Amino acid sequence: MDLSLLADPVFLAQNIVDGLSRGALYGVFAMGFTLIFGVLDIVNLAHAATFMWCAFVGWLVMAVGGLPLPIGLIAATLAGSLIGVALEFLAFRPIRKEGADRLSSMISSIGASLIMVSIAEAVFGVSTRRFPSKVLDPRPFFLGGPGGLRISRAQILILVASTLLMIILGWFIRKTRTGKAIRAVSASTKASLLLGIDVNGIIVRTFVIAGGLAGMAGVLVALLTNYISPPMGSTVELRGLAVIILGGMGNMEGAILAGFLLGLVETFTIAYVPGGSDIKDAIAFLVLFFILFVKPEGLLGKKKADRA
Amino acid sequence: MSSSNAAAEASKEAGGKGRLKTASTIASIVFLVLIVLGDIWVWIRNPDDLDRLLINLLLGLSAFATLHLRLLSLASAGFAAIGAYASAIFLVKLGMPIWLSMPAAASLSALIALVIGLPVLRLKDVYLAVATLGFGEIVRVAIILLPDLTGGSTGANLSTGFPYEAMKQTRAWILALVLIGFAWIFSATSRTRTGRALRAIRENADAAATMGIDVVGHRLASFAASAFLAGLAGAFYAHSVGSLDAGDFKFSRAVDVLTYAVLGGSGVWFGPLLGAGFLTALPILLRDSLSFLKDFAQLPNIVNGLALMLAIIFMPGGFTSVFEGALGRRIEAGKSGVKLPRRKRWHSAPVPADGIGEASGGRKTEGPILSLVEVSRHFGGVEALSKVGFDLAEGSILGLIGPNGAGKTTLINAITGVIPPSSGRIVFDGRDMAGLAPHRIARAGIARTYQNIQLFGEMSVIENVVVGRHIHIDTLLPEAWLSLPGQRREESHARKEAHALLARLGLDELAYARASTLSYGDQRRVEIARALAMLTPENGDSQKSAGPRLLLLDEPAAGMNETETEKLGDFIATLKTHGYSVLVVEHHMDLIMKICDRIVVLDFGRKIAEGLPEEVSRNPAVLEAYLGGE
Repeated sequence: MDLSLLADPVFLAQNIVDGLSRGALYGVFAMGFTLIFGVLDIVNLAHAATFMWCAFVGWLVMAVGGLPLPIGLIAATLAGSLIGVALEFLAFRPIRKEGADRLSSMISSIGASLIMVSIAEAVFGVSTRRFPSKVLDPRPFFLGGPGGLRISRAQILILVASTLLMIILGWFIRKTRTGKAIRAVSASTKASLLLGIDVNGIIVRTFVIAGGLAGMAGVLVALLTNYISPPMGSTVELRGLAVIILGGMGNMEGAILAGFLLGLVETFTIAYVPGGSDIKDAIAFLVLFFILFVKPEGLLGKKKADRA
Repeated sequence: MSSSNAAAEASKEAGGKGRLKTASTIASIVFLVLIVLGDIWVWIRNPDDLDRLLINLLLGLSAFATLHLRLLSLASAGFAAIGAYASAIFLVKLGMPIWLSMPAAASLSALIALVIGLPVLRLKDVYLAVATLGFGEIVRVAIILLPDLTGGSTGANLSTGFPYEAMKQTRAWILALVLIGFAWIFSATSRTRTGRALRAIRENADAAATMGIDVVGHRLASFAASAFLAGLAGAFYAHSVGSLDAGDFKFSRAVDVLTYAVLGGSGVWFGPLLGAGFLTALPILLRDSLSFLKDFAQLPNIVNGLALMLAIIFMPGGFTSVFEGALGRRIEAGKSGVKLPRRKRWHSAPVPADGIGEASGGRKTEGPILSLVEVSRHFGGVEALSKVGFDLAEGSILGLIGPNGAGKTTLINAITGVIPPSSGRIVFDGRDMAGLAPHRIARAGIARTYQNIQLFGEMSVIENVVVGRHIHIDTLLPEAWLSLPGQRREESHARKEAHALLARLGLDELAYARASTLSYGDQRRVEIARALAMLTPENGDSQKSAGPRLLLLDEPAAGMNETETEKLGDFIATLKTHGYSVLVVEHHMDLIMKICDRIVVLDFGRKIAEGLPEEVSRNPAVLEAYLGGE
């Protein structure tokens, strides 16, 4: 570890900014992922494919259609909700019945993901697409003059968006009628049915929200990384898994916070550990294993009774 | 996966009408022939594809090993990568001969599986899948991070001159022989006590453990076997392609392997082979026959994805669940839909004298066979059991009664190790059992039945009972693989014993029915037969297995009518005369009062009374607990 670098405040601040925005990327991706898990108790492995498709929708609207960023974001969000609902009807609802195995829905989502990625490869090819600079000015701001703290518009956007989403969704889940119903279904499907909650309707709404989150995440992440390509989902997916387990499966605020944590750890590893940029890929998995074995309910998660 | 439902439905359809059954038999055979013909066609078209097919079949077996136990492992690509790179390193850097380097690399995979299996296999379904998925990625990252050893992603310094690649003519034959060898091993294993134990774990791991089956050990061994096969397949793959590429062992490859097992069915060993054969041939055939698909590189992945989704939705048991009725092992009643004659019903059957061996002698200690000392169990802040203590004299029947929620089942769970006690001692035949694994407690001579019936539902009645003989059969797997006569003799002996027990309980007519199709009362008696099968010492080998025998019955008469209950009481009473000790939880007071030597009463986790039946029935504390009051 190069200690002299630690003493450099600008370098340190730079890494904090980069780490947080990298973490916001993971967190935004993981939010919808963890919501589905919390409500339905399934890992939707097609979430990453949804995310990737929405990035392409955003790209089509903004790069090909020439429309401005807000419209691109809205289009991608709508597309994500649509894909989410389609997944619910095609991949999840048909196997949701009494006594069905949790693994079945996971396997079904793996199949859906494979199909979605393959179609994207067939349609868009494997070459990388980028947003044109008119969508969002790629030139960064420098705080404290040239050589000072560098921060890009995409970083600001994703940091603000992830924080806002965390606050809004936290409020939504806790205070609104739909949010309460979602929590009821996640606690017990059976009891919710008995209480007259339209469980299937709530599940569809959950997919609308989770898909929309995947859509927003797709555009935001594509802006930050400047990389749109069919395999883009799978590069985020494993970190997303690490993040939702770290944050506690089903906990959306936990996902954002765990995302920040992972982003910071990765960035600091790259900055301060020799050969860190190679090692950083392994960090998410080490975190994943550690959490799985030591505290499988996650840092912020509550122990589930059935795992006691 | 609810393979049970699909299989049951399939069987109902197949059984309802004879014509339909014939049709499904023909359709199954036609389909099988089509898979085989398709694969042969693929081979003729391009001999290189044969390699791929055989390697995929090997991977299919690897997937079977884990998914058969309902372990969703996504580590196969990682293990294949280890096999591929390790065999190349052994070959190039250590100068090993090629035929040594491949099994050595596979063994390394298996070894790594054993090491990571211990912690990983403790995780449940989704978490296990995530952990194994992470493992596969770590392997890939490690390969890229260790260029000195692996030559980086493309194995730069390892890819030169694999002798195997040059052996174009013979290599497929060698691979085919290896595959046939493993298929033989899988098929032979499925007919042994190990195969049966694996099926029992698949059906109900908790119940399997209380039959003396080491669930963790079997899972670990299966995981290692799966890793060995994946490693071997990876080695063959690398050597037949003649180069290495970490990109070949991505997550999507693990998904392919999973698809073989899901589509083919993980209930029987050849299911994943069918899945692999089908999924390998289909894209190639599609591309050959439909010219517009020629350049569609994503076709195999789309076919796999569709197959995965369609299979899990419409055919959760896979190909084999559909064929089972037509081709596979037969489970007579419930399958054919034919009502078997039920002349010898329980309430009219005579009580034959044999079928249960004597279970006494061989005790190491004097005094009560079971002593509970201050046994407590709390769940969070709730005291489900609070310092419960009593003795059970050998060869006696103890009744355990109490209102709902008194902790009776919790106590049985504590004794059998299913939910170990928080504190206290459970001394069985002089040994403290508290905290031992369930299968160890079972092997010491404690068997149980369940309040909520825990049969191996998809297995036949006789097979359920033979699972109970698990600890009495000592065939070694290699004996079965070599098809030695001793193994078959022991199997048929165990079957005969199981039949005798079923006859004893008036169930022999139902021996070949699927356990889940039986009535409630019949299922309870099958559970008793299964428990007794575990406890019954071996005929003619009294020295080895005679010992203390304790049977725990958790509401055995629930769901039985009056005649059946009475009959059951007589039966339990005769167990005593054979030297068994019995603890019975029941709500039928007539039964309890008639057969029990002593009674213990629990209320809110505490023992409130103990004594002879007539004492307890007059005890004011007991009356209050049952009837309420001030």
